[in-house]
Amino acid sequence: MTDRPARAWSEWLRWGALGVAVVVLTIFLVVQGRTIDVSYGQSPSSSDPVPEGDAGELSDATVPSVEEMTRMVADDQIVRLPGSVAHIDEDRVRAEIGGTDSRVLIAPPGLDEDERGRVRDVENATVRVIGTEVTGGFFQVVPNDFDGWREVFGTGDVTSLVTRLLRELRDEENEDGEDGEDGEDGDGIAWREPTAEELGPVTADLRETGLHTAEGSTMDSLPEATATAFPDGDALYAVFPQQEWGQPVPEYGPALAAEFPGRPIVVMYGSWVEYHGPDQEEFAQVVAAGLYGQLTERLSRYDYPQHNVLHAYLNRVTDVRYAGLFDRPLPYQPFDPLRVTLPALPWIFAACVLVFLGLSVRSVLRPVTRPRKYQRGHSAARLAGLTALAIEVSALTGRDGNASLTRGLTALEGARKALDDKLPDQHVQTLLTQAEAELDDTARAVGRTDYRPNVYLQGRLA
Amino acid sequence: MHWLIWIAGTIVLVAAGVGATLLPQRRARALRRRTAWSTARTEIARATVSRDATPVRVEEAERLLARAELIAADRGGPDAAATTAEYARRADRLWREASGD
Repeated sequence: MTDRPARAWSEWLRWGALGVAVVVLTIFLVVQGRTIDVSYGQSPSSSDPVPEGDAGELSDATVPSVEEMTRMVADDQIVRLPGSVAHIDEDRVRAEIGGTDSRVLIAPPGLDEDERGRVRDVENATVRVIGTEVTGGFFQVVPNDFDGWREVFGTGDVTSLVTRLLRELRDEENEDGEDGEDGEDGDGIAWREPTAEELGPVTADLRETGLHTAEGSTMDSLPEATATAFPDGDALYAVFPQQEWGQPVPEYGPALAAEFPGRPIVVMYGSWVEYHGPDQEEFAQVVAAGLYGQLTERLSRYDYPQHNVLHAYLNRVTDVRYAGLFDRPLPYQPFDPLRVTLPALPWIFAACVLVFLGLSVRSVLRPVTRPRKYQRGHSAARLAGLTALAIEVSALTGRDGNASLTRGLTALEGARKALDDKLPDQHVQTLLTQAEAELDDTARAVGRTDYRPNVYLQGRLA
Repeated sequence: MHWLIWIAGTIVLVAAGVGATLLPQRRARALRRRTAWSTARTEIARATVSRDATPVRVEEAERLLARAELIAADRGGPDAAATTAEYARRADRLWREASGD
């Protein structure tokens, strides 16, 4: 009786351990399905840098039929379809073409799959320019430095890309395998100081709303990513359309930086975004290289609105901000107990398994239904009393009492064996009751009521 | 290495559960069997005493007791023991009736 609470307690512990083990195992299995999202400090930039689908990358521009384009290309070495944004220095390209029969076809950006297929089907065009994507033969030429990107995305100038491709194709034809003149990537943009008349409205707008959208730009409002990219909210945005080709470009960045010292300034020419202001050396290049290195292909083939390009750029800024490169303090990160607990899960599981195993072994070795001591003592006392009675009565019996007395002794012997075998107490008591009935018969046969078992045993106890 | 813990742990859990269920079950069955045979043996012994105390022969009782002893000689499960005990009890009753008890 005394070990009852301890027993219940260990049973609770045993099944509790099993329950915890199962829960932990379930968590482990569920966690296997979680995707790993690696981001230092959980950057809140949206995971799709340029929203797909309705990102507006397809323009209204279209191209004529294949036959018509083939005829146009046959008529003229350099064909520029209406709606095109790419420009080439025709003199330089013609000089590069020289005596060969190379032809250049320039198509507008943002064509859909079908329209691009039509442009590709114009077989007499050596070089095809879709948007600012330059392809020809097995080659595609992309800018790979800041000057190149600025030139292509800021002014649509693909002259150096086209000439490089022509040179590459010609080298391939000659099969001399030399491509020595690599890396001559154009001269970059020709800059000029913005005039006071140009700068005036820009600074006025920036002072007033923080956003200047020049005539012709495809931006009306700032993307939401501004909030995370420049959380201080003091960033200024000056957005200009793609700059006119062949003209020097007014360099607003340094001028605005001088006008608004200490404030982040984002200047956008067409699809080219640049940053001026604090920490310019630290991250302007990282962000631009990341963005244009990854998205050049899409940006040049499609006609993304400036809003979306800026959105992608600002997301990139956010990522850099959260990349932990510049010792910036991170915003508060809520504590995720699951992530902290995960490494400990196997050990918790193992501990639970061991507890369950140990307690199971214990419960098997010491069964719950083991006979209670006081009852065994009770049975043994009853057995002893009845045996003593049987011995006393045996002296008195004649022939008549013999059979029932012997049967009683037989039952007593069975009860003793059962007690020795640790058989259930109930069984022992049944046998003892049988013996008692036989002895009762014996006592009545002998005619001695004081030897009736209940009387005799009571007398013994008293 | 950690995934080994999961597999081994699951196996141990299942084994411990099965063991902890089966072992007591088997033990209880063995106990039930021994108890039943204990009863049966006592009944046979009582019937034997009654037979010795009866002056006349009771053929049916002797047949019953012989059958009980035959089953007991084969050993068997609790059911066989219960049958044995029942035969012995009936034989015992017949002898007692014969001896006018």
